[in-house]
Amino acid sequence: MIASLSAEWLKIRSVRSTYVVLAVVALAVVIGALFVWQGMAVFDGLPPERRENFRVIPMEEYMLPMVQLALGVLGVLAITSEYAHGTVRSSLVAVPARGTLLAAKAAAVAAVALAAGQAAVFATFLVTRALVGDRPIPDHGAPVAQQAPQLLLLGLSVAVFAMVGLAFGVATRSTAGAIVSVVALLFVIPAGITYLPAPWGTRLSAVMLPNLPDQIAGALGWRSEEVVVGPWARVPVLSPVWAAVALAAYIVVPLAAAAVLFRRRDA
Amino acid sequence: MIEVRDLVKRYGSTVAVDGLSFQVRPGQVTGFLGPNGAGKSTTMRVVLGLDAPTSGEALIGGRRYAATRRPLHQVGALLDASAVHPGRSAYDHLLALARTNGIGPRRVAALVELVGLAGVARKRAGTFSLGMKQRLGIAAALLGDPAVLMLDEPVNGLDPEGVRWIRELMRSLAAEGRTVLLSSHLMSEMALTADHLVIIGRGRLIADGPLRDLVPDGGSLEDAYLRLTAGSVEHGAGR
Repeated sequence: MIASLSAEWLKIRSVRSTYVVLAVVALAVVIGALFVWQGMAVFDGLPPERRENFRVIPMEEYMLPMVQLALGVLGVLAITSEYAHGTVRSSLVAVPARGTLLAAKAAAVAAVALAAGQAAVFATFLVTRALVGDRPIPDHGAPVAQQAPQLLLLGLSVAVFAMVGLAFGVATRSTAGAIVSVVALLFVIPAGITYLPAPWGTRLSAVMLPNLPDQIAGALGWRSEEVVVGPWARVPVLSPVWAAVALAAYIVVPLAAAAVLFRRRDA
Repeated sequence: MIEVRDLVKRYGSTVAVDGLSFQVRPGQVTGFLGPNGAGKSTTMRVVLGLDAPTSGEALIGGRRYAATRRPLHQVGALLDASAVHPGRSAYDHLLALARTNGIGPRRVAALVELVGLAGVARKRAGTFSLGMKQRLGIAAALLGDPAVLMLDEPVNGLDPEGVRWIRELMRSLAAEGRTVLLSSHLMSEMALTADHLVIIGRGRLIADGPLRDLVPDGGSLEDAYLRLTAGSVEHGAGR
């Protein structure tokens, strides 16, 4: 397993697509910072009586889908590039134990995604907080220690997306098919599902992957009570335990299904 | 030693291999011949555990390939030379394979030298010609210094110097007592390289014997091959 892991690690860091993905992550941090920087310029220009209604969405949440998508694509490419170029066969000739090969791939991808996710979330948080300074902006006042659990969960969700991407890649063996599936899971279904008739819209929203980290952390503060449909809808609060179970299921179920397919199918 | 016993492989309603049995013995180069679609590559994939047989079995050294730990030390395979990530360097491609079987960077560097890619090992494999990719594939097959080698069309795209190099390499590996299975459509080349031939068509065994027994004195392997496979050509040109 260690031998396979070091090989998969080398595969990830020896192709350019990995660095493109990491550049997109860095870009997400920069864009988040620019939004807040511009927002602060607007805030400073407002008369005092209008300043109290001024809100800024926390950028570590707002920019997160870009990071999740980037690392989801990394997870997809980790396996679909092997199918596209035919190297999956030489990989399996070298490591015939398919479960071992997939586990090594998953571990290497998860390590990169977790590091990138945490780095992006904490960098965005710290930079935007520095830009906000001591201005009285709602949702930008909690001490770091108090918000750390939520931030760590947001970073973790990036690794979950990478695992889902890897599993979709194994299942579809097609880069395009797997990326479309990841986009559906990340953007399309969570946004569309909120339009279902009550109470199903909100009930199903609660178990959508993008909504789980906040529910585990018990932090939904910045979302507006009035917004009940669309990608920024406020979702009902699953108990943290059940939200954690749901998040774990997003890792375990797709990877387990991928492992079954990977072992059963001809390469 | 490679043993294929009563092997059947179906893909849906297509029968790719249809009750095939043969053995590949050590100490000689065995040529694996047959028309396009005869089932050569399918047989090799089943032997390597990539495809599951519908029935029958394929064993290397008496064991199923998939049950082998660190298999590169026992078996080296070249299935498709173009199967490289175009963005990864030749050296990293080999090192990633080597690491899975606990083979160190020294061995990788030695093989890069052996196959004549030392000057371009750090270049992206996507920039390689087919001949250079064949050399890279040979290096990958030799990583673990294996006792069994299976090479599918290794001379395609090689220059004359490379063709001769492969021929002499295969002959010397067999002379060391290794098992060498080589598929090719180049009859003149096969006549110079192989000691023994296994010829299949439509997934069935057509001939299995020493080269000198299959090719009459003064005749060519090409004539003998075309005569033997005349009834088994699936994708022939009109004549």
